[in-house]
Amino acid sequence: MKESYVDLVNIRRKVFALIAKMAYEDADLNELEKASYDLIPGEIATYRESIFRERAIIEERLRLTMGLDARHMNEFTRVTDGIDEINVNEIKINLPLVNVITFACEACPTRAFQVTDNCRKCLAHPCTNVCPVNAVSIGKDRAIIDKEKCIKCGKCKEACPYSAIVEFHRPCAFVCGVNAIESDYLGRAKINEEKCVSCGRCVIQCPYGAIADKSQIYQVVKGLKNKENMYAIIAPSFIGQFGVLASPIQIVEGIKQLGFKDVVEVSLGADITTLHEAKEFIEKVPEEMPFMGTSCCNSWALMVEKMFPEQYEYISDSSSPMVETAKYIKKKDPDAIITFIGPCISKKLEALREDVKDYVQFVLTFEELMGIFVAKDIELSEIEVDKEIQDASTLGRGYAVAGGVAEAVKKTAQLLDPLREINVECASDLHDCVRLMRLAKAGKKNNYLLEGMACPGGCIAGPGTLASADRVKKSVMEFKNQSVYKNPLENDIIDDELRH
Amino acid sequence: MKIKVCMGSNCTLLGAMNLLDQIEDLKGILESNDEKYNDEKLEIEPVTCMGYCKKMGTGISPVVMLDGDIIFNATGQIVMEKIMDKKIKD
Repeated sequence: MKESYVDLVNIRRKVFALIAKMAYEDADLNELEKASYDLIPGEIATYRESIFRERAIIEERLRLTMGLDARHMNEFTRVTDGIDEINVNEIKINLPLVNVITFACEACPTRAFQVTDNCRKCLAHPCTNVCPVNAVSIGKDRAIIDKEKCIKCGKCKEACPYSAIVEFHRPCAFVCGVNAIESDYLGRAKINEEKCVSCGRCVIQCPYGAIADKSQIYQVVKGLKNKENMYAIIAPSFIGQFGVLASPIQIVEGIKQLGFKDVVEVSLGADITTLHEAKEFIEKVPEEMPFMGTSCCNSWALMVEKMFPEQYEYISDSSSPMVETAKYIKKKDPDAIITFIGPCISKKLEALREDVKDYVQFVLTFEELMGIFVAKDIELSEIEVDKEIQDASTLGRGYAVAGGVAEAVKKTAQLLDPLREINVECASDLHDCVRLMRLAKAGKKNNYLLEGMACPGGCIAGPGTLASADRVKKSVMEFKNQSVYKNPLENDIIDDELRH
Repeated sequence: MKIKVCMGSNCTLLGAMNLLDQIEDLKGILESNDEKYNDEKLEIEPVTCMGYCKKMGTGISPVVMLDGDIIFNATGQIVMEKIMDKKIKD
């Protein structure tokens, strides 16, 4: 879906590249006041009814990308208001992370059933016959659904022989797995912060580009210019994200050329998480916990915390691969400043947690990193390098794809305890995650290892990706097989103690 | 028919991989309906930065070359239509 939103995707990414460029050039931030004229030149609107509105929305994107809060349209605010607090290189993201750009939102109607031109007012008119509340009648031109009466059961849609009745969704609310999208007094989308788990699906699904998250592009680039000890850790789904010709090692070298001291695969942290979770499962299930949920996806863990508080203790207390990788670097260089680069928006939130904030300072998405590559004029596929990266095992690299986490934990647990039988169930998509947790709560998943991922298909379909999930899936498979370690127990970068 | 899709940084930022996906999909559609079209083969090649954006400035990515003809600000719509024009039987 997302890839076909070409114009929206490009606007978002042009803003990323522009902010990165401003940071590299130490540009006067007052330039932001007129940046929307560079991004949307001329006098004629291209995307919406008015170029003034287009520019106002771009300005909001500039603000959010800088890490500033979204503005309210009922008060005068300059594009750069609040910039002084942001113009330092260690600023943390201010909540909320995911924001509705209210004046970009078209206040789409909420879910409803609608009769289209396909209706032939047929003699059988099953739509009226099957309606349990007598809401469908035959009008002058077509069937009519009485919105007051309709209970949205969908029976009329199923019964129509001409496919004349369609179900209509508000795209942001439809993809939200935790029902966090509500409406404000003008019918525009409003995010309920109590419910939102920052998975980012609404950000990429809104056809008007009215939802955006904050970024740390500016702060990372400033850090790279001024500090020696910046490290990047890169999520397992990075393979193939930056153009089909850029090899994994070229991506790593390209990141180093931006000024990072070193780059480590987060798959290494995945190996460490796997070892912890495998041991935890063997030790605690079923005596101390009836089932165990994986811990790597922040949105999944947050969803369980918010919607199933009594079961939250059954989510593994192992740190996520991001945190484990950062801990590994911090052990060697206690002054390291660490940037996580991944497909994920939710990691930006995870990095703010009390127990995480000392390890991970910055979080970038692949899209944001691509903007930085462009700003710095780096052509990844032309970098000459004949090294290879071997930080992680085949199983660790598999974390990027749905099912990969459970597979890694299961196989490792069985290597540690060959007689142990382990049942596994995976959900990838927040709706499925909620369904799975309902079953688990009802006692139907006892003895199970439950893998939850908020994005459909796993991290490879995260909101911050550039390449299609299918393409990345193939590349990840290839990269997995290039690992010299089959499983985390063989990975000799990891402490011996943990591997036994 | 030779189609070069630029995979330079600018083009990748602005959707070159999506273009490549679309052209590869189109190739699949053409091959499964081959009796309708002429038998010119689609050769799709992702290439390193062709350098146009470096010379001419931004505002031209993504770039696609179709049988030597350069297409700036390439969209799936434009490129696929041009490919289809060349596949129509005389």
